[in-house]
Amino acid sequence: MDIVTGLLHGFAVALAPANLLWCFVGVFLGTVVGVLPGLGPPATIAMLLPLTFSMSPAGAIIMLAGIYYGAKYGGSTTSILLNVPGESASVVTCIDGYQMARKGRPGAALGIAAIASFVAGTVGVVGLMLVAPPLARFALSFSSPEYFALMSLGLALVVLLAGRSMLKALVAALAGLWIATVGTDPFSTTSRFTFGQLELLSGIDFIVVAIGVFALGEVLANMEAREDAPLLEVPRGLRNLLPTWQDLKDCRFAFINGSVVGFLVGTLPGGGSTIASFLSYGLEKAVSRRRDQFGTGVIEGVAAPEGANNSETGGALVPLLTLGIPGSGTTAILLAALVLWGFKPGPLFIPEHPDLFWGLVASMYIGNVMLLVLNLPLVPLFAQVLRLPVYVLYPLILGVSMVGVYSASGSLFDLGLLLAFGLLGYAMRKLDYPAAPLILGLALGAGMERALRQSLMMSQGSLSILVSRPISAAMLSLALLILSIPLFGKFNAWRLRALES
Amino acid sequence: MKLRYPLILLAAMAGLPHPAAVAQAFKPARPVELVVHTGPGGGSDVLARALAIMAEREKLLPVRMVVVNKPGGNSAVAAAYLAEKRGDPNTIGLFTGVWLQTPLVSTEAKVTLRDLTPIARLVLEPAVIAVKADAPYKTLADFIDAAKKRPGALKQSGSSSTSRDNVVRQLLQKSTGARWVFISFPGGGERIAALIGGHVDIMVIEPEEAGEHIRAGNMRVLAQVSEHRLPAFPDVPTLREAGFDVPVVPQVRGMVAPPGIPAANVAYWEDFCRRLTRTASWKKYIADNQFEDGFQGAADLAKFYDEFTIRMRDILKDAGVKTVR
Repeated sequence: MDIVTGLLHGFAVALAPANLLWCFVGVFLGTVVGVLPGLGPPATIAMLLPLTFSMSPAGAIIMLAGIYYGAKYGGSTTSILLNVPGESASVVTCIDGYQMARKGRPGAALGIAAIASFVAGTVGVVGLMLVAPPLARFALSFSSPEYFALMSLGLALVVLLAGRSMLKALVAALAGLWIATVGTDPFSTTSRFTFGQLELLSGIDFIVVAIGVFALGEVLANMEAREDAPLLEVPRGLRNLLPTWQDLKDCRFAFINGSVVGFLVGTLPGGGSTIASFLSYGLEKAVSRRRDQFGTGVIEGVAAPEGANNSETGGALVPLLTLGIPGSGTTAILLAALVLWGFKPGPLFIPEHPDLFWGLVASMYIGNVMLLVLNLPLVPLFAQVLRLPVYVLYPLILGVSMVGVYSASGSLFDLGLLLAFGLLGYAMRKLDYPAAPLILGLALGAGMERALRQSLMMSQGSLSILVSRPISAAMLSLALLILSIPLFGKFNAWRLRALES
Repeated sequence: MKLRYPLILLAAMAGLPHPAAVAQAFKPARPVELVVHTGPGGGSDVLARALAIMAEREKLLPVRMVVVNKPGGNSAVAAAYLAEKRGDPNTIGLFTGVWLQTPLVSTEAKVTLRDLTPIARLVLEPAVIAVKADAPYKTLADFIDAAKKRPGALKQSGSSSTSRDNVVRQLLQKSTGARWVFISFPGGGERIAALIGGHVDIMVIEPEEAGEHIRAGNMRVLAQVSEHRLPAFPDVPTLREAGFDVPVVPQVRGMVAPPGIPAANVAYWEDFCRRLTRTASWKKYIADNQFEDGFQGAADLAKFYDEFTIRMRDILKDAGVKTVR
């Protein structure tokens, strides 16, 4: 079946009234789940799984996929408004999104997140439709050395461009990498830094640290300002709340960057939307002309990661549907769902079940439009949250943070951790250590360690495996190049001074 | 004379053994919590949710069954949670082999399956040994020979070092003297990607997972880790048939209850499991996933724990993994 007939056929499936309804139910639930911190798409899909047994498989996969990509839309809301990341993929959105909100532009930030999500989400579906099989083959050429190189690239991008002091950024990143080692060593099953605590055996959850350092740290730091903090300015009227033409123009590159980076990282079985969002943020910053303003509320800093985490869903479906290989928690449960409905996901899935594949693709185009229509009118509504006086807003942030953490793990121990990381976030703010490198170090730490150790096992201990494979060598060189960007700047300044004198 | 019968019933309720009467004596009165050690979407979680649907559909329980996720500590958190629920009649759990292995290697994991109440074993998961379709090895012996020629050069992708994947490797290495490398990948998808991407040479894989890759011509199966040939692989030899006399390591799933529950409750849940495994829904589920029905009652299960634990401890020691219990 070629693409045109396939897609036409797919729209015939997706536009059937029942499937259209399931698509709406999915994206609506997804938005809700995305907005609420804690409860993520895998948990929601798992809980809804029993319901899908009485549905047609096409309707069921359309709805579950809707939850998956719909959650990526909503994830930015609490990141921007409250500095509480809704999903791990929206952690990086806090950095510039929250600053925009503080500067009175919450609407622009929420709006651009929705628009970037729509653009990149659609590009992701186009990619899924056009290049799925060949790209899945390419993704297979990635293994541990390439993943290590990819994550090094991500770390280089964000860490060395973050904050004023490179030393402090490096210390924060190392602390993040250290926190990532807490738990059970994946290779020897020895426990590390658990101090006899049962709850630490499986490590410290990334989202607990992110919410603690970002949200609680922010609240604690702001409570110090004893004088009545003025209410935040929230402009009135839909027109003043949405992004301007200038904003959209500023985000041209961010749209492309988010779409491409998100999709490509998504296709890798060891990728994931968190890495995708950090990579595209780092890339955006690296190529930006106003690099030094990142972290103070730059709109591209919201558009790039929010785009990336949406096109990642299209990418993540590539190995799932073309090879039957799930790359993330959510795709793993989608795989389990397909098996429970009696399908056999694998290399022959698309040719044997064109209805399901093309119906899903078509529904994702429709679902993305629904999400844009659903999310843009919500912007002014959500933006009103910031009109709340601080004595309401801060307890609200605390409450949302705690409910978010508890609903994700159901563990009181994690609430204690949340508090501890809140204090760490506060201390870091006082001492002027940037939070982003810590979070990124934690997000990448476990994966990097594993990839490096796997690589060394493959090569029987020789580091040359990292540079003897072309893709890995190319990415590591790129990482080195990025590390030297600040040096070039210094060299240039020195050269100019030398010329003048 | 009229009083005698009720007296016997009373005696039965007080815990004196009369199996038929005992089984009638307990019935859950409020929704039952079914505890699993994985997050939503993990293997046990999916089984638990399927099980809850079957119980409802086949009307096996007077109340609803609610899945409770207690992830963390490689099953240690869920085991500790069940231990805390001592005597609770409305909580049960689903265990896997991990529940037996984790306490062996981790000092923090203090609750072993022996500390909980065994109910029944439900599922045995067989496995197959697979290579990439264009690999030069036609039989397991070919692979073993190649591994002997270049010790440590061939690679296997698998789960953690205490997983069945690695245990099969250890057993084969010990019996043949060949040596190859085991590389842990946490996600099932990554393991398969590493094999069909050509980054590793061999893997132990669940038959259901392997099925589609074989049909598409990406993978070839050399042997099956099973006592007898699986229906889906009539032409593939078992390990013993292939000439490797190593014990078949089962991957188990079953039901446990908190410690300190009355015998009547044990009998009720054991009976529930027995009725469950006889339903058509369960048989279809087992067939779809290419599991084996591994039903075993409470008394046998306790024996199984001990054998499994002793064998596992030896294997882990051989593998150089430090055991703490």
